[in-house]
This record gives sequence, C-alpha cells and structure tokens, in this order.
Amino acid sequence: MYKKTSTAAAVAATTCLFLIVGGCSATSTGKPEADKPEAAKAAPKAKAVDYAAMSPKALAEYLIFESGSYELDQPTQEGTNGRARLTQDDIQKTCSLMKGENLSDKTREKVSALAAASIKYPEDGIKLGDWKKGRELAWSGFGYRTAHNPDDHAKRATGGNCYNCHQLATDRTGGNIGPSLTGYGKIRGNSPATLKYTYEVIYNPHTYFACTNMPRMGATGVLSQQQIADIMAYLLDPASPVNK
Amino acid sequence: MFKKTLRALPIALAVSATAGLSMAEAPEDVLDKLIKKTNSPYLTQSPQNIMIMPDNPAWLVADEGAILFRTPRGPKNASLEKCDFGKGPGVLEGAHVELPRYFADTGKVMDLDSRLVHCMKTLQGFTDNDPAIKKKHGSDSDIMKLQTYIASKSGGMSWNPPMNHPMEKAMRNAGEVMFYRRSGTMDFSCSTCHTQDGKRIRASVLPNINRPDEWTKAISWPAYRTSHDHVRSSQHRVLECLWQMRYPDIRNGSDASIALISFWTDAARGAPAILPDLKR
Ligand code: HEC
Ligand code: HEC
Repeated sequence: MYKKTSTAAAVAATTCLFLIVGGCSATSTGKPEADKPEAAKAAPKAKAVDYAAMSPKALAEYLIFESGSYELDQPTQEGTNGRARLTQDDIQKTCSLMKGENLSDKTREKVSALAAASIKYPEDGIKLGDWKKGRELAWSGFGYRTAHNPDDHAKRATGGNCYNCHQLATDRTGGNIGPSLTGYGKIRGNSPATLKYTYEVIYNPHTYFACTNMPRMGATGVLSQQQIADIMAYLLDPASPVNK
Repeated sequence: MFKKTLRALPIALAVSATAGLSMAEAPEDVLDKLIKKTNSPYLTQSPQNIMIMPDNPAWLVADEGAILFRTPRGPKNASLEKCDFGKGPGVLEGAHVELPRYFADTGKVMDLDSRLVHCMKTLQGFTDNDPAIKKKHGSDSDIMKLQTYIASKSGGMSWNPPMNHPMEKAMRNAGEVMFYRRSGTMDFSCSTCHTQDGKRIRASVLPNINRPDEWTKAISWPAYRTSHDHVRSSQHRVLECLWQMRYPDIRNGSDASIALISFWTDAARGAPAILPDLKR
C-alpha cells in the first residue's frame, strides 16, 4: 500500500497536504491501480491513512514516497529523479541498521558477495594513473548534489570525496570517518595484491567491509576506471605527497 | 558587548508586557555549563564562535520578531498573541522545547516553523503566496524573525517533546527509521555522520546523536550561522544535510521533515536548549 509508485500516488500525496484528519489521505481499495477506471485514478477516493497504526518502517516509506514531502521529480545528473535517489538497492536496505542492530555473519557474507560481484576490472589490468590528477579527485567533493543547488557536471569535474572522510597527505585537512591513509603506499608497497585490494576497496568497499560507511564509487559509476587509477596513484605512487 | 545591553531592554519590555518574568537562560551560560560537564570536541570546536556568543546577531533578529509578534498584521489585522504553540494561547515560555507536538486543531504533529505558519494563516489571514509566509529563509524574513524570538523564550530549558499522543510516537519512530535509512548516490544515512564520538568531515566536528549534552547544540535552532551571515532554522539544516547526502529537496513543514525533527529533538531530551545559538 505504501509502495505505490503511480501518478495516482502523487495526486494522493498532494491531496493529503490539504486534509487535516489524523494525518493524511491516500487511495487504497486493495485493488491494483490498473483495474480501476481512469476517473478513479485521477480523483482518488479519500481513505484516511492512520499514521499511528503503521509500523515505523511502513510509515517512513509512506512519508518518503507518498506524503508529498520530497521533491520526487527533481532531476538528477544521471538522468533519473529524486524518487530514484531515495529508492534503496539491496545493499542499502540490508545495511540500514538501526542503533543496537548488528550484522549477522550470514548477512555479512551476502553483502560481501553482492559487492564482489559488482566489480568490473580494467581490461588491460589494474594500473596506477597520474597522482597529480588523483590528488584533485581525492580532494573534490563536487558532484551529484541536486536539491536546491544542483552540481553542474558540465562546468566542473566530479570528485571522489576521499578527504571528507580520510586524512591523506598532510598538506590538507581530512576527516576521520575513515582511517588515516597517510603513508598508505609507503606501508603497503605496490605489489599486484595491494593494487587489486585498493582497486576493489575504492570500487566497492563492501567486498571487504560489509555495510561500511564508505561509498561504492566504482559500482555506482561516480568514479570511472581512469579516475580510480589516478586516485590509486595518489595513494600508492612513491612520488605522491601521501607517501612523503 | 554594547549590543547585549541594547537587546536586554526591548526583551525585558516584551516579557513584562506578556508573560511576566523571563525564565530563559543566556545561551552562552548554557553552553559554558555543557562544556564544563562534557569534553565534547563538537561543543568546543570554535573558540572564536564561543567568544562572540554574547553579541550574537541573532538577538537583533529576535528583537524584530518580538515586535512583529505583537503587531496586528495581515488581512485580519491581528497579532500573533493568541497563537497556541502547545502550552496555551500566547504562551511562549518553554514552548519551543516541547515541539514538535500533536495539535488537535490540525490533527497533525507540527514543529515551530509549521505551527507559526498555521497561526499566520488562521489568525492573521496570510496565504501561502504572501511574502510573510512564502519567504522561509534569511534573517530578513518574517518567519525567521518570529521563530528566533519565540525560540529564545526556551533558552536553558530542557528539551521535552511530548510523546503521549500516538501520532507523536509514530512520527518520532518513523523519523528514527529515516535517520538510519541509507540511500542516494553515496549510500548515506544521517547515521553515517552523526552516531560516533569525535568524528569529523574534513575539519568540521560532527555532533553525535547519542550524546544529548552534545546533540542539544546541534538541534538548537534558530542559530546565527557565521558562514552564512544569516539566522537559520531546523528546516534549513535538514535541507543542507540532505543536499550533501545527494538526496532531493524536502518540502518545508512536510511530514517527513517533521518526523526527522521529532526524532532528533527526542534524542536531546533532558539537555538544555541553547537559544538562540551561534554556529559556524
Ligand atoms: C563517507 C566516508 C568515506 C569516504 C567518502 C571515503 N571513505 Fe574510504 N573508508 C571509509 C571507512 C569508514 C573505511 C573503513 C572501512 C570500514 O571498516 O568500514 C574506509 C576504508 C578505506 C580504505 C581501506 C583502508 C585499509 O586500511 O585497508 C581505503 C584504501 C579507502 N577507504 C580509500 C578511500 C578513497 C580513495 C576514497 C575516495 C575515492 C574514500 N576512501 C572515500 C570511509 C570513507
Ligand atoms: C556526509 C555526512 C553527513 C550526513 C550524512 C548528514 N550530516 Fe548532518 N551535518 C554534517 C556536517 C558536516 C555538519 C556540520 C557540523 C559542523 O559544522 O560542525 C552537520 C550538521 C548537522 C546538524 C547541526 C549541527 C551543526 O553544528 O550545524 C544537524 C542537526 C544534522 N547535521 C542533522 C542531520 C540529519 C538529520 C541528517 C540526515 C537527514 C544528517 N545530518 C546527515 C554532515 C552530515
């Protein structure tokens, strides 16, 4: 009931802004939308939705998708819309752990397997790119922000956000949601195994850290293979400031 | 310093004219006590901001709000003095620390922002297209002047949003789910950034929702933001974090925004409000 994605839902959502009984209203006759005559879809019969009778999860989904709260039609840089940004995939759903909830071993394995399966490798093998380009990519947090102030990807290259969460070279201040990566290459060298591990972590970190807070920037297409190679050079090239 | 004396007068007058002696405690004193009690890096991250708290420009905005509040305005030429923020018509003392709450007259859980808009419509006759209601952000907006004034009447009081009505519980609990719910380009949930101690995004220290003595400052809005040179609301903060999260915009006063704010206010329960606050 709270998972409807038709335009009728949007109509209902708008309607509910004007109704003031115990929350708001939406159509629900239990019948699939397709069975209904056109008129019924356009002018849904109001049936009160009782917030207090819904489970917290069901109400949250209702508020996000059906209550008219979000600008679901707002366009995104990847050509989708706000609704798509708010819709969860498997990993997002599984990893939305509430306070006190822990990941079972079985779920951890499932998430890691899903993540590993998402990884595509460069055809000519994993190589290091240009650390200077990688430095800027690691610094930049530009890209994919939409809402009232959308990032224009035509005007500026998108970044990898690494400094938001990591300390890298010490000439710039990084965050600490993730561990410090200062001296990463100096400590790990650049054996094929290190290259592979680093590529995989950047592409989809859930492979090694199920339900991590680090984004999956290869899997989601935020970073291209070339950009990952440049960032890897920033982490691993002995000439990079990260390793000085 | 001289600003402090200047603002003390109109406020004292406003208070004596309406609700008797003010119970509100100066925000810099509230913050000082919290800093002494905790060792929170979030509370102490900007010595500069702590220093200018007594001269917080938000006080001037609150003073303008005090005048607006008492001035008959709108098509109905009425003041807001009969507006019920949950503690009875015209009662502002401690009203903000008990919001969001359920209002029987609308059948909705409302925050300060949406309740204020409701009163401006019903008592004063403004409509959504009137600038008084339409302009939601900025120190020069009526909405922010009024919110800053009303909230300042809860300074130092403990957050205590009521959880008696089933709708209040439902909204808080849905807000909790939303807080931990991941989505978007970067898989972010609010909990990614606000559930651990001493974490930073670049240089910004992040408040932890699990520490009421720290979280109270995070949710103490309106606050003057030095980097914006404007007083901002809770609704504005939600917008900003959602933008960083790569989510679409949330509508001002929408049920989803109020669910989030219900949860975040409940998380500060018992800790004293810093109102008006000053933030980076
Ligand atoms: C939102 C925060 C966040 C962002 C943004 C982020 N990371 Fe991470 N990263 C983490 C966290 C948290 C971990 C630790 C993994 C865990 O235990 O969950 C981590 C782990 C790593 C590791 C593994 C470290 C080790 O010791 O094996 C590497 C390498 C890494 N990140 C690189 C990057 C790079 C490169 C970027 C930018 C493209 C980046 N991260 C962006 C949060 C982030
Ligand atoms: C990617 C990290 C990130 C995410 C995700 C995030 N925030 Fe924030 N949030 C921040 C940063 C950075 C600040 C500013 C902190 C500062 O200035 O010290 C902030 C500030 C806040 C504040 C006010 C504290 C202040 O000092 O300004 C509140 C309240 C808040 N966030 C709530 C939320 C909520 C609710 C969500 C989910 C809808 C959320 N945040 C998601 C990073 C994040």
